[in-house]
Amino acid sequence: MELIMAVLAGILFTTGIYNLLQKQLLRIIIGTALISHGAHLFILTMGELKRGAPPILTEGIENYTDPLPQALILTSIVISFGVTSLLLVLAYRASQVNGTDNMEQLRGNDYE
Amino acid sequence: MLLAVLLPFIIAIIIPFVSKWKDKIHTGYFVTIVPVIIFIYFVRFIGSGFEPVMREYSWIPSLNMNFAFHLDGLSLLFVLLISGIGALVAFYSIFYLHKSEQLGHFYVYFLIFMGSMLGVVLSDNVFVLYSFWEFTSLSSFLLIGFWNFKKESRYGALKSMLITVFGGLSLLGALVFMSVLTNTTSIREMISQQQLILNSEFFPLILVLLLLGAFTKSAQFPFHIWLPDAMEAPTPVSAYLHSATMVKAGIYLVARYSPMMSANEWFFIIVSTFGIVTLCWGSYMAVRQTDLKGILAFSTISQLGMIMAMLGFGTDIALFAAVFHILNHATFKGSLFMVAGIVDHETGTRDIRKLGGLMTYLPITATLAVFASFSMAGVPLPFLNGFYSKEFFFDSALHLEAANTGISGVLQAAVPYLAVLGSIFTFVYSMYFFFGTFRGKAKLDQLPKKPHEAPIGMLVSPIVLVLGVIIIGLFPSLINKPFIEHAASAVAGTTVEKSIYFWHGFLYPPLILSITVLVFGVILYLSRRVWMPVYNVVPGILSMNKFYDGAVDRLENYSFTITKGYMNGSIGRYVRLILAAILIVTFAFMAMTGGFSINTDNLADFTIAELLVAITMVVAAIGTILTNNRITAILILGVVGYGLAMLFVFYRAPDLALTQLIIETVTVALFLLVFYHLPKLGKKEESASTRVLNLIISIGFGAMMTMVAISSHSTKLFESISSYFVDNTYELGGGDNMVNVILVDFRGLDTFFEIVVLGIAAMAIYAMIRLRQDKKEEE
Amino acid sequence: MSNLAVLPIILPVIAGIIVAFIHKKKKIVRIVSQIIAILNLLVVGSIFLYVQQNGTVVLETGGWAAPYGIILVGDLLAMTLVLTTNIIAVACVFFAPKSLSEKQEEFYFYAFFFMLISGVSGAFLTGDLFNLFVFFEVLLMASYGLIVLGNGKVQLRESIKYVLINLFSSMLFVTTISFLYSVVGTVNMAQIGQRVQEVEQQGILTTIGILLFFVFATKAAVFPLYYWLPRPYISPNPVVSALFGALLTKVGIYSILRTFTVMFNQEVQLTHTLFIYLAAFTMIFGVIGALSTNNVKLIIAYNIIPAVGFMLMGIGLYNQVAISGTLYYLVHDMIIKGALFLLIGAIVYVAGTSDLRKMGGLIHHYPVLGWMFFIATLVLAGIPPFSGFIGKLLLLQGGLAQEEIMIVIVALITSLLILFSMIRIFIRGFWGEKTELKHPERKRKGVWMAWPAGALLSVSILLGLGAEWFYPTIDSIAEYVMNPEIYIDSVLKE
Repeated sequence: MELIMAVLAGILFTTGIYNLLQKQLLRIIIGTALISHGAHLFILTMGELKRGAPPILTEGIENYTDPLPQALILTSIVISFGVTSLLLVLAYRASQVNGTDNMEQLRGNDYE
Repeated sequence: MLLAVLLPFIIAIIIPFVSKWKDKIHTGYFVTIVPVIIFIYFVRFIGSGFEPVMREYSWIPSLNMNFAFHLDGLSLLFVLLISGIGALVAFYSIFYLHKSEQLGHFYVYFLIFMGSMLGVVLSDNVFVLYSFWEFTSLSSFLLIGFWNFKKESRYGALKSMLITVFGGLSLLGALVFMSVLTNTTSIREMISQQQLILNSEFFPLILVLLLLGAFTKSAQFPFHIWLPDAMEAPTPVSAYLHSATMVKAGIYLVARYSPMMSANEWFFIIVSTFGIVTLCWGSYMAVRQTDLKGILAFSTISQLGMIMAMLGFGTDIALFAAVFHILNHATFKGSLFMVAGIVDHETGTRDIRKLGGLMTYLPITATLAVFASFSMAGVPLPFLNGFYSKEFFFDSALHLEAANTGISGVLQAAVPYLAVLGSIFTFVYSMYFFFGTFRGKAKLDQLPKKPHEAPIGMLVSPIVLVLGVIIIGLFPSLINKPFIEHAASAVAGTTVEKSIYFWHGFLYPPLILSITVLVFGVILYLSRRVWMPVYNVVPGILSMNKFYDGAVDRLENYSFTITKGYMNGSIGRYVRLILAAILIVTFAFMAMTGGFSINTDNLADFTIAELLVAITMVVAAIGTILTNNRITAILILGVVGYGLAMLFVFYRAPDLALTQLIIETVTVALFLLVFYHLPKLGKKEESASTRVLNLIISIGFGAMMTMVAISSHSTKLFESISSYFVDNTYELGGGDNMVNVILVDFRGLDTFFEIVVLGIAAMAIYAMIRLRQDKKEEE
Repeated sequence: MSNLAVLPIILPVIAGIIVAFIHKKKKIVRIVSQIIAILNLLVVGSIFLYVQQNGTVVLETGGWAAPYGIILVGDLLAMTLVLTTNIIAVACVFFAPKSLSEKQEEFYFYAFFFMLISGVSGAFLTGDLFNLFVFFEVLLMASYGLIVLGNGKVQLRESIKYVLINLFSSMLFVTTISFLYSVVGTVNMAQIGQRVQEVEQQGILTTIGILLFFVFATKAAVFPLYYWLPRPYISPNPVVSALFGALLTKVGIYSILRTFTVMFNQEVQLTHTLFIYLAAFTMIFGVIGALSTNNVKLIIAYNIIPAVGFMLMGIGLYNQVAISGTLYYLVHDMIIKGALFLLIGAIVYVAGTSDLRKMGGLIHHYPVLGWMFFIATLVLAGIPPFSGFIGKLLLLQGGLAQEEIMIVIVALITSLLILFSMIRIFIRGFWGEKTELKHPERKRKGVWMAWPAGALLSVSILLGLGAEWFYPTIDSIAEYVMNPEIYIDSVLKE
C-alpha cells in the first residue's frame, strides 16, 4: 500500500506542478494546494502505515502507528493553510490592481 | 618607519579641514611639508655602508598580515623618488592649481597616493603590498577623475581603474598562490624558498599572473592604453603618478621578484619581449601625437618598456642600467611634464600644432626643456644623465646571457636591432617635443592666451629636476656607490659593482649604436613630413583602444542580452527552469550513488476502499487541469482534500483527519470567496511545445519524488525516535493522545511558532485589505 | 544559563506582539521599536560574549532532552549570525521612519519586522530540522507581510512570484524532512549527523541531501535557482529591501553550511564538487545580471547573487581556511548589503529616480552620500583593507591550497566585474557636471537617511581594518564547523 500511496502523492505533485506552470493565478494557487496535499501524504507514508492502533493510549494495546509524522503533518497543514489564505488574498488584490490574473502579463520591466 | 608611511594618510584626514582656509593660504603648502619630512627621514640612509633595515608592526597577525617594512637598496631608491618628486610636484601644484579648484579633494587623493606608494615599495608582506597597490590604483582613479565634469576624465578614470584593478587582482592571485606554496607571506622568505615555487607545476600560471599585474600597472603593450587617457588628470598628477612613480610600481614588482623568477627562462623571454615591444611601440606612437602630454605619455610607455626589457635581460649590467634609468627617467620626464604644464598654463593650449617659437617668450622654460629632452633622447653629451643609461642599455642589449637556442636565441639576435629602432624614434619625438614647441615660427594668433614666462614658483621644481639631470650626468659616481649599486644588488640578489664613465673610446660598440641612433634620428626628424602619413595609417589597424572600448561596450550589451534572455519576469519560466535543474541533478545523483531501491517486505495491506479513494483523488487532481470552469476546479480540489482526510482515517490518524476536514472546508470557502473576484478561467493558449515541456517537467518531478519516497521507505536504517514518545506520553506528558502531547509538549516550540505564523498571516491579510481601502478614502 | 538561547527568538516575538497591539499610535510604536531593538542587540551581544567565554549553550525546550524534544543550540556560529542580524535590525529600525509612509508604519511594519528577526534568529539557533522549517515559515510569512506592505501595483505583482517560489520550496522542504526521517528515524540535526556518519551516508541519503540542498539553495539564490530574487527584492520599500538583502539569502547559505557539515559530510567528493561548480556559475551569472541594467536598485539586488557564489565556494572547498572565508564573507555580506540597500534607498530618494541614465553630478550636492557609496563599493568589491577582502583572501587561499584553479580565477574575475558594476553608479550617478537639484526639498531627509547606512558601513570598515579582533573567533568557528563531532556531542551529551 505504501507504494501506491507514494505513487498517489507523486501524482498529486505532478498535477500540482502542471497547474503551477499555467498562466492563470487561480490555477496556480490550485496547483500549490495540490502540492501541499502531496507533501502531507508523503509525510504520512514515511511513517509506517497501519502498523498499529491510532496513537492514542489505550489499555492493552502495545502497537501504535508512528505519532511523530502525524504531529509534523498537523503543524504543516496549519501553516499551509495560513500561506494559502494569504496567497488567495494576494492574488485577488494583485489581479484587481493590475487588471489581469494572467501571470504572463504580469512580467514587468526594470524601471517601475 | 610606520609613521613615515602613515604620515600622508594622517595628514590626508586633516586636509579637508585645512582646505577651508584655502583663500588665505594655498592648501598645497601644508601638503608639501609631508614629502619633505619623509625625504629627509630616508635620505639619511644613503651611503656606501648601507645595510637593509627591517621593521615590523603587527596588524592582523592571525592572518599573517603585518606591516613588515623592509628597506633595501631598491626600496630606498623608490622611497626617495616618491618623496623627492612628491615634494617638487606638490610645490609645483601650488602654482598650477587655482584656489577656486576643489583643493581639499585633490590633496587628499594626492596624499593617499603618496602613502600607498610608499607602502608598496616598503612592504615585505605580500598582502599589505597588495592593499597599498590597490590604493594606488584607486587614488589614481580619483585623480584622473578630478575634473569629472569632463566626459574624457570620466572615461580615462574608468579605463585606468578597470585595467589596473584587473592587473591587481591577477597579482593577488599570484601572491596568494605563492604564499600558499611557501606557507609564508614575506617576500624575502618566499625568495629564500624559491624552489617550492619554481618547481611547482603551477609556476607558469603564477608567472603569468604576476606579470599581468606588473604589465598593466607599468603600461606595457598591450595594456598601455589607459596611460594616454590618464593624461586628463591635472598635469602635476601626470608628472607624479603617471611618469615618475605609480607606473613604476610594476617595474618595482618585477625587480622585487626578479631574484627568484629570473631563474626560469620564460621570465627572460616574456619580460624582455614585452619590454622591447613596448619600447618600440611607445616611441613610434609618441611621434604621431599632437598633444604635448600625449607625446610624454607614449614616451613614458616606451621608457617603461626599456626598463622592463633590461629587467628581463637579467644580466648585472642590465639590472644596474635599469635602476639607474629609473632614477634618470624620473628626473627628465618629471621636468618635461612640468614644462608641458607651464606651456599649457601660459599659452592655454597643449596642441603642438598651434605651438612653436616660444623660446623668446619662455626662455627659462625652454632652457629646461633643452636639457630634459636631449637627455631623454640620449644625445652623447657628458652632462646628460639620459645618455649614460641609454649607453648601458645598448651595452646590455649586446651582451645577453641567454641560451642560444629556441625563442631565447631568436630574441637574443633581435634585441639589439629593436633597441636601436626604439631609440631612433625616441630621438625623433624628443626633438619633436622641443623644437615643435620652442623653435620655429610663433603662431600667437592661434593661442588662447598671450604667452609669457611662468612665475618663479612654478619654475623651481623643474629647475631642481634639471639640475639633477646635469649633476648625475657630470658626476655619476656621486650616486653610484652609495645608492645605485645597492639598488642593483637588491634586484640581482648578488652584489653588483659597476663604474660609470662617459668615455670608453671610439670603438666602444654602444657608442657606435648611439651615434647610429643620432644620425638616423636626425634624418627621420628632418624628413618627418614625408613620414607623417605612414605614422597615421599604421596604428589605426592595431588600436588596442578599439578592443577595450568594444570589450566594455560588449560586456554591458551581452550582459543585457543574456540576462534579459532568461530573467523575463515570467514566473512560469522561472519555475520551469528551477524544477528542471532540481530534476536533472537529483536524478543524476540518484544514479551515481545507486540510491534507488525497492523493498517490498515490509508493506501494509492492500484494501479496495483505499484504492478507490486513491483513484478518486487521481481523477480529481487531473480534473483540475482539464476543467475550464472555476467552480468545478475549486470543488474538485475539495474532493482531493476530502480524499486525503479519508486516507488519514484509514491510516489511523484521527486528529489529522479532523483538522484536514475543517481546513479543507475553510479553504474551499475562501477559494469560492476569492474566485468571484478573479477572471474566468480562459482556454489554455500556450503552444503545444510548452505544453509538452510542462508535462515532461511535472511528470518527471512527480516521478522523482515517488522514487525518492519509495527508496527512503525501503531503507529504514534506524529505529525511529517515536518509540520514546509512545513509551513516555503518559508518564511524562500526562496525556493519552500522543500526537497532542507531542504538539503541545515534546515539540511545543513548533506549535507556538505555528500560531505565530498564523498571526502574522492574519495581520498581513488585514493590512492588504485595509491599506487599500484607506487609500481610496484619501482619494 | 542555557535558557539564554531562547531570548533572541522570544524577545522579538514579544516585541512584535506589543507593537501589533499598539499599531495605531505611530510615534509610540516607533520609539518602542527602537528601544526594544537596541535592548535586543544588547541582550544578544551579552549572550554572544557569554558563549564566547563559556562555550555553546544548549537549550532543551520544555525540558525534553535531545533527540526527543526541540533543541536550541547557541553555539558561536549561530550567535555570531544572530548578533549580526540584530546589528542590521537596529540600523533598519532607525531608517524606517524616514523611509516608510505613515500608513505603512501603522499597518504592522514593526510587527512584521520583529517577527522576521525572530524567525531569522530561530533559524540560526535551532538544532531540529523540522523546527528549522517552522522558523523558515515564520520568517517567510513575516517577509510576505513586509513585501506587500503598501500594496503598490508592482509590489503586488512581484510579491506573488516571491510567495509562489518560496511556497513551493517550503513544501519540498517538509517532504524531504519526512524522507530523511524515514531513513534515519529522527529529525534532530545532531542525531541525523551521527546516524548518517554511522552508515557512511549510504544509499538514498546523498540524494535526499541534494534535495535538501536545493531547498536551501532556492532561498539562498544559488545558480540556477535565483531567478525569483532580483525584482521582488527591489519592489518594496528600501528598508524592506535592506532586511531581505541582508538576511534572507544568508539564512539559506547558513542552512547549507550547517547541513553539509553536520549532516551530509561523507560524500564530499560528490556533493561539494557540485557546490564548487554551482558557485562558479552563481558568481558569473549574478555579476552579469548586475552589469545588465541601469536601475541602481537592481544593480545592488543582482550583486547579492555573486556574493552567494563566494560563500558557496567556501562550503564546496570544505577546508578550514575556506570555511572561515565563507564565515567572514557571510558576516561581511550581511552588513554591507544592509548598508548598500539603505544607502541606495537614500540615493534614489534624493535623486527622484532609480534610472542611472537620469542621474549625474550628485556628488556636488551630496558629498557625504557619494563618498559613503564609494567606500561601500570598495567594501563590496573586496578591496583591502575592507572586510570583503579578508573573506575573499581566505577563500582564495582555501581554493589554491586545494588546487581548484578554476574557481579561484572565476572569483577574481567576478571581483573585477562587481567593482565595475558598482563604480558605474559612482561615475555616472555622482560624477558629472553640477546640475540643478530636481528635489531640493528632499535634501534634509535624504542626509538623515544616510546615517543608519553610515553606521553599518563603519561596522564594515571595522571588520576589515580590525580583522584581528574578529578573525580568531571566525577561525575557531571554522575549526568547530570542520569537526562536527563537537556539535553532535554537545547536543546529544555523549
